[in-house]
Amino acid sequence: MGENGAGKSTLAAIAYGSVAADEGTIHVTGVVGLVHQHFKLIERLRVWENVLLGCEPRRGLAIDVPAARLRVRELCAAYGLELDPDARIESLPVAVRQRVELVRELQREPAVLLLDEPTAALAPSEIDAFFITVRALAARGTAIVIVTHKLAEVIAHADRVTVMRSGKIVDSMRVSDTTVAAIARAMVGGDLPTIAARIPTETMPALAVTALRAGTGAGALIEANFEVRAGEIVGIAGIEGNGQSALADALAGMIPYSGDLTFAGTPLFARVSPAARILLGMRAIPQDRHKEALVPDWSITDNATLGRQRTFRSGILRDRARATAFAQSIVERYDVRPPNAHARIGALSGGNQQKVVVGRALESDPRFVLAYQPTRGIDIGAAALVQSRLIEARNAGVAVLLISFELDEIFTLADRVLVMFGGRIVGTFERGALDRARIGALMAGAR
Amino acid sequence: MSRLPRGVRDAVLAVTLVFVVGSIAMLVAHASPLVGFGALFSGALGSPSELGETLVQTTALLFPALGITIAFRAGLFNIGAEGQLVLGGLTAGYVAAALPLPGVAAIPIVLLAGALGGGVWGALAGFLKARFGANEVIATLMLNVIAALLATYIVNGPFKMNGATAGETASIPHGSWLPTLIPDTRLTIAFIIALIVAALVRFMLARTVFGYELRAAGDAPEAAKRAGVDLSRTALVAMSLSGAIAGLGGAAIVLGVLHRFNTALSPGYGFIAIAVALVGNLDPLFVTIAAFAFGVLQSGALSMQSEAQVPKDVVAIIEGVVIIALAGRRYFSRGSDR
Repeated sequence: MGENGAGKSTLAAIAYGSVAADEGTIHVTGVVGLVHQHFKLIERLRVWENVLLGCEPRRGLAIDVPAARLRVRELCAAYGLELDPDARIESLPVAVRQRVELVRELQREPAVLLLDEPTAALAPSEIDAFFITVRALAARGTAIVIVTHKLAEVIAHADRVTVMRSGKIVDSMRVSDTTVAAIARAMVGGDLPTIAARIPTETMPALAVTALRAGTGAGALIEANFEVRAGEIVGIAGIEGNGQSALADALAGMIPYSGDLTFAGTPLFARVSPAARILLGMRAIPQDRHKEALVPDWSITDNATLGRQRTFRSGILRDRARATAFAQSIVERYDVRPPNAHARIGALSGGNQQKVVVGRALESDPRFVLAYQPTRGIDIGAAALVQSRLIEARNAGVAVLLISFELDEIFTLADRVLVMFGGRIVGTFERGALDRARIGALMAGAR
Repeated sequence: MSRLPRGVRDAVLAVTLVFVVGSIAMLVAHASPLVGFGALFSGALGSPSELGETLVQTTALLFPALGITIAFRAGLFNIGAEGQLVLGGLTAGYVAAALPLPGVAAIPIVLLAGALGGGVWGALAGFLKARFGANEVIATLMLNVIAALLATYIVNGPFKMNGATAGETASIPHGSWLPTLIPDTRLTIAFIIALIVAALVRFMLARTVFGYELRAAGDAPEAAKRAGVDLSRTALVAMSLSGAIAGLGGAAIVLGVLHRFNTALSPGYGFIAIAVALVGNLDPLFVTIAAFAFGVLQSGALSMQSEAQVPKDVVAIIEGVVIIALAGRRYFSRGSDR
């Protein structure tokens, strides 16, 4: 375990042999296998071609295809994993692709199997199935090392946990002898920041979405009807690719859509520009920080005013004094490091970049904030701060729509949870009546 | 990496390339690099009149290079400065030769006409980009050809002026010529105007809201769009401005150097200016310095040929290699230079 940038993946890569160690040695008996967080499969090829790449059974100069197929089937049977050897990778869902990766490593009969963030892209039900497989492998005598930042998974499935921080191993303990709080403390190197308390708010209508349809293809939004009220956080739970991006883009005015959007009593037609929406008080924390939110080569100050460049001006000139003061206030309130508003934002860590993106949205008198994966890829400390500020904004009467692929985040923040699947809202849960199992099932397409 | 060190690094690379490539080319041409470069530099900087000619070349390159700088900073690869410069010169030439007001009063009007001509030509590519998503590289490249042929047609065809020789407009009354800076040279206040434009472009990019939006559109279009920047409008305005400044350069050549429009107005200033803008790292301050460096090469080439018997094409070789090296470097380092 460890936060982003703690050195977990590097250690795994060194153990696997794809990165050379500067010094020191690693002792291992047998072969080391590694399943990467981002799968390294060739999309256009079939399952057996991917699994046996580099060690195909041959007959003369040609590949012995029937033998290859048989070999993959045997492997699958031996490990109890279900795979069609002839399926093309591009046609397979994420969970099945992961199985292909697993089988590919298993055919080398590893004594140690490293799994780097194996559950990042899986639905809750798939995660359970995945850990059953992993347990079975361990029972056969394989040493399993799981690299993860999800505390709950470690507590539920691991025997021992080793915590890394800033490139060093800081603690190692038996899971049965420790607690979530103790592991978290070791990861952050201190007490976890507490998240702001939610206070009762009097909600008012803010955003109304009726029969909204947007986007094309697999990630299209087919139909959405919901309301986000001022003073509440509405969470959209769902697995990536079920229409969330089309919804976010439609709300931001980035793509055409049909249906009715009403914000603060004003109808928002598709032709209403992003600039006009910003003027109405709509803000966004985009999903892709690097591409959609920031200009990496610019300073913190210049990035802080992005979106409100027409506000920070005097005549045709930029009001640099006010821009710097605004950036400085974000830097202080959000504990951005380095605390220098003139620093180039591309040089900051992901967490600190995100603090600027969140800060400029929340500190600019927003009436509505769309937070799309607001804590993706940032460390626990920064994530807690971002979540706290979102709750404070809600307490202050901002309407917040939270789209997240992490159920824990939704449960922490949302007053109401909508579940999205296949471009539709398939369930609604009030905060008092959250049913984790039911939500997980709906996310995976259950009816 | 910040802008400044990169600009300095590019400049060092460019200067090194000039000497290395130039020396090799001269050795191949059986000449001594020492003698060759000596003739080149003394020919460009050796006397006030030679310096004047170098600054004439600098001016001719600086205008289109500043226009290109604006477009490139907006993320638009305007390859059409040559056409915009020709159109600006053509408009200026006609207005100046036909204008009833003689004397100094005509100068600002003629310069504005040149800017307008070039601006319209740039706006055309900007419009095609904004309205139909047409690739601006292709559009501007083709508009270059159209501009050259249009100028030839207008000057020689039905709009041929009385008393004009082939390929030219009638000459401009002496009183409307741009005042010279150094006596007995072709250097005029156009050089000062170019420096002022450079300062204005730098100020516009760094300090105005429009410059901010333009840079956002160029550096991170997706983020800019989400931040309310109208990418179509920005492309249109940036291309118009870009063309206007190149067109102003054309007008300056017409009013200050040739005193008429001639279809052979530009030996490719609009293309060399692309290299000038890139060597100057798209910062008007460094672009100005780069324009001077290229001005030295341009004006020293002839004396290098006559005094050191080095073919003046060596300069073209040097320029070509610098362009390829810097453009390629920019292309390949995109994304990785973070």
